[in-house]
Amino acid sequence: MERMIKKILLFTAVFALFILSACGGNSDAEVAKKETIVFADAGWDSIRFHNSVAQTIIENGFGYKTVVTQGSTPATFTGLREGDIDVYMEVWTDNIKEQYEEAIEEGSIVDLSVNFDDNRQGLYVPTFVIKGDPQRGIEPVAPDLKSVEDLKKYADVFADPEDPGKGRVYGAPTGWAVDKTITDKMESYGLMETYNLFHPGSDTALATSIIKAYDEGEPWVGYYWEPTWIMGLYDMTLLKEPEYDPEIFQESAMTAFPSVSVMVSVNKSMLDAAPEVVDFLKNYQTSSELTNEALAYMQENDARAEEAAVWWMKQHEDLWISWLPEDVAAKVKESLE
Amino acid sequence: MQLQPDKMTEFPEQLRLEAGIYVRDFIKWLQINFEPLFDSIVIGLTWVLIHIDQFLQWLPWWAFILIVFFLGTYFKSLIAGLTYALMLLIIGSFGLWDLLMYTVSIVVTSVIISVILGIPIGIYMAYSKRFETFMKPLLDAMQTMPSFVYLIPAMILFGLGKVPAIFATLIYAIPPVIRLTNLAIRNVSSEMVEAAEAFGSSRWQLLTKVQLPQAMPTIMTGVNQTTMMALAMVVIASMIGAEGLGMEVLTAINRIDIAMGFEAGISIVFLAIIIDRITLAISERSQKRK
Repeated sequence: MERMIKKILLFTAVFALFILSACGGNSDAEVAKKETIVFADAGWDSIRFHNSVAQTIIENGFGYKTVVTQGSTPATFTGLREGDIDVYMEVWTDNIKEQYEEAIEEGSIVDLSVNFDDNRQGLYVPTFVIKGDPQRGIEPVAPDLKSVEDLKKYADVFADPEDPGKGRVYGAPTGWAVDKTITDKMESYGLMETYNLFHPGSDTALATSIIKAYDEGEPWVGYYWEPTWIMGLYDMTLLKEPEYDPEIFQESAMTAFPSVSVMVSVNKSMLDAAPEVVDFLKNYQTSSELTNEALAYMQENDARAEEAAVWWMKQHEDLWISWLPEDVAAKVKESLE
Repeated sequence: MQLQPDKMTEFPEQLRLEAGIYVRDFIKWLQINFEPLFDSIVIGLTWVLIHIDQFLQWLPWWAFILIVFFLGTYFKSLIAGLTYALMLLIIGSFGLWDLLMYTVSIVVTSVIISVILGIPIGIYMAYSKRFETFMKPLLDAMQTMPSFVYLIPAMILFGLGKVPAIFATLIYAIPPVIRLTNLAIRNVSSEMVEAAEAFGSSRWQLLTKVQLPQAMPTIMTGVNQTTMMALAMVVIASMIGAEGLGMEVLTAINRIDIAMGFEAGISIVFLAIIIDRITLAISERSQKRK
């Protein structure tokens, strides 16, 4: 019996050694040339749309295969750092500030271009809260609400169901870096005495709370950002704040948010493995408005990101042709027909 | 006849059944027509939760530890009591005491509601074959349906916060107590039931004096499992805005913060061990007494 156990152990050890050496051999051969480029899908529509545009161009213009890996923001971003993911079309730098700066510093990822930086974020209310909606029979409950500062007067309008004496402001999804800014803001504006800052836990939950309030015609105030399909679909108003000023923003957060730079980033291995793709992505620049167009198209037509990408590329041919060498652009154009 | 491999492997487009749309419309319909009903459920449940919360927040931390210590010592052993007290101390030293209390209040509320609803349902299942046939697939669905699928409708109807969290926890955690109550009552020996009937006991007496006491140990095992499953839901509950240890885990996940994740995660494990051992010991005690 004992001999048999020894045999099994020996066999296992040899087998493990064999597998290990086989793995070692593989990784050497891999460096030379990439065949498949892996994109990150962190779960929202605009990144899916930008993925599809880039995929269409890379597959048809440069002849690579592409695949998309899905996951949460932290999971996919870790993947980008480790090299499991090659291209990330929308790195919202401010939302994952620490990890992003760390990754840039250690050189595991490289920024190629700013996809867009004219986005907006802040505290929103449904527009019917201010103006009413005669069609739906909704009275304006906070007619003089214009700025974040004005919220002080309306704590009873935005009552917190779990603590009815106070109002409720829906904050950023749990763990986002912007959460701290919102807390600072509320303290500086003196809103903490009359409002609770509610942590919605996830992006889905935050969006669902807007949908619920909007459909029922109930007041709602909280953090959101655009470009997003929610902002395309619902009529929301961004509460005013003084213009962005870096110093004041650092100190008390009592100004509007700066626009976040949304970067196109790649894992460092891409620089050698697919230089022509890197050159193309360096030119990749759109705007919030261009992105919103595609998102609205998706919502209105119940279209998938790939369909929106084809539609959008037909609408804005000049733009994407300017990103590419002539021969490549011609190939891509042909594939769209 | 010619084989058509392409056609044969593709499921025919004409047979596309869009059942999801009807579910969505049904939820919309509920939302529009029964808003006052759902609002009053929210108000009622919130009231209960707030009071449990307030009590737990009012309770000094050492008193809570002492209670757990005495429960552990009484039902298990001195060493067990000391270990549980130490575990709670460690959670407190992570700076997570408040969050621990929030989690306890959600778990306790869910378990109380589970028991109040689950035991009668289980008893009825034991009496009615037809009801059992109806309930079994439903219970399977409750345990296997991915939680966000019913969480989104729950949020639409109940809003964000503790109430939908309780709702989600209930759906996931109530099946064991129902199943085991059903099983336990069915397993009470038929001789015993016949004997009781021969002595002329009514149906109510039969249930409360013979079947339930006989079934108690198994039912308590069900309650224990329900409690553990309620704990397993704390992270999901936090994704819809319920405060507690789960929220800390979620924050850690979103920030890729290993240290924070470990502290919050191990706290949940400690809480689970304490609750599991104490409720198990209570059910064993009730078995022995019999």
